[in-house]
Amino acid sequence: MTLGPLLVLSFVAGLVGALAGMGGGVVLIPALTFAGEDIKRAIAVSTISVIATSSGAASAYVRDHITNLRVGLFLEMFTIVGAIVGASLTVASSTRPLFVLFGLVLLASCLALWLQRHTPWQSPASPDRFSRWLELEGQYDDRASGRTIAYRATRAGFGGPLMFGAGLIAGLLGIGAGALKVLIHDLVMGLPPKVSTTTSNLIIGVTALAGTSVYLAAGLIDVNLAAPVIVGVTLGAFAGTRILLRVSNEAIHRFFQVVLLLLGTEMIVRGLRGRG
Amino acid sequence: MTDTRATATAADRMDTLVGSLLLGGVLTSLGLIITGMVWHRLRTGTTMLDQTLVGHDVVQLLAADLAALGEGAVRPRLLVSLGIVALLLTPYLRVLASMLYFAFVEHDWKYTGFTAFVLLVLTYSLVLR
Repeated sequence: MTLGPLLVLSFVAGLVGALAGMGGGVVLIPALTFAGEDIKRAIAVSTISVIATSSGAASAYVRDHITNLRVGLFLEMFTIVGAIVGASLTVASSTRPLFVLFGLVLLASCLALWLQRHTPWQSPASPDRFSRWLELEGQYDDRASGRTIAYRATRAGFGGPLMFGAGLIAGLLGIGAGALKVLIHDLVMGLPPKVSTTTSNLIIGVTALAGTSVYLAAGLIDVNLAAPVIVGVTLGAFAGTRILLRVSNEAIHRFFQVVLLLLGTEMIVRGLRGRG
Repeated sequence: MTDTRATATAADRMDTLVGSLLLGGVLTSLGLIITGMVWHRLRTGTTMLDQTLVGHDVVQLLAADLAALGEGAVRPRLLVSLGIVALLLTPYLRVLASMLYFAFVEHDWKYTGFTAFVLLVLTYSLVLR
């Protein structure tokens, strides 16, 4: 693929990903493979672009004091090991299972968007001893309500190992797996939604770096592909975040569900037919 | 009371430092890559860069880039390569800064240990293989 189309494709992937509240990877990787790129190289280059998009987004949240650095660092211990294992599996794997697995994750994301409920957050009653020992607590100023919200995370003993799984999928498929991380923060550890999403963003960057290191060592990162993809995805994500402030969330989610459904089905079919 | 307030201010400063580090790293990286790509296009008229990355870990990459820089051979490809190295170092430096903060500002040895583990795994996977 030449530079022009590659830039446009990456820009659109970053844009659509940001509009849906996900990273660019879920759109970028299928698009690159449809354009004839090898899936392993597509995964590798997507992983490196995830560092750029997540670090860019995380920077604003950290400075607004919403991200919880302690929660982030504790969970990163698990995600980076997962990412290294996941990326190593991808390097060793043949391409067909990767197509099928990627398709399944896309369909699962589609389902997760469908099931997403908007129940108000409630602070867990009392954190367990391990979580208290970890001091996983904090507070942030909620701009919508104008109040300061204090919270304490719980069940860190489950959350940590589950985050190994989230890191594994991130490293394996070259995506941020932010939706999965947020799910663990919300449902298992009882963090407020704002803190889960922003802290997940911080974790994604380091996790992607761990995955990238494996792909770099395997020689799967090609400058001709990486340079335009990093630039395109990051600018696209930036534009997407801007647009998101002005348009309806509902319509975008419906559109993105259809996109995920189509891409997911197509990837599975291609994996099963064996025409990577 | 004063003690908690002092810690809160230090935590705020830490947030600002980490946030600026992340933003600065990404902007530096994008700036270098875009400049390199545009320059390459202007000079050669083609869009394909002539070489792949030199070296298969960050230290080798950086060493090759710095060596080229030392020879005064500032080429478009070098800028792109430096941009990618800057991107890889961004989260790494964020973790390093967090560790120094937990150790020297908060004296929180538990989290210094956690952060040191993260840094060690990253260093191993980026450099030591």
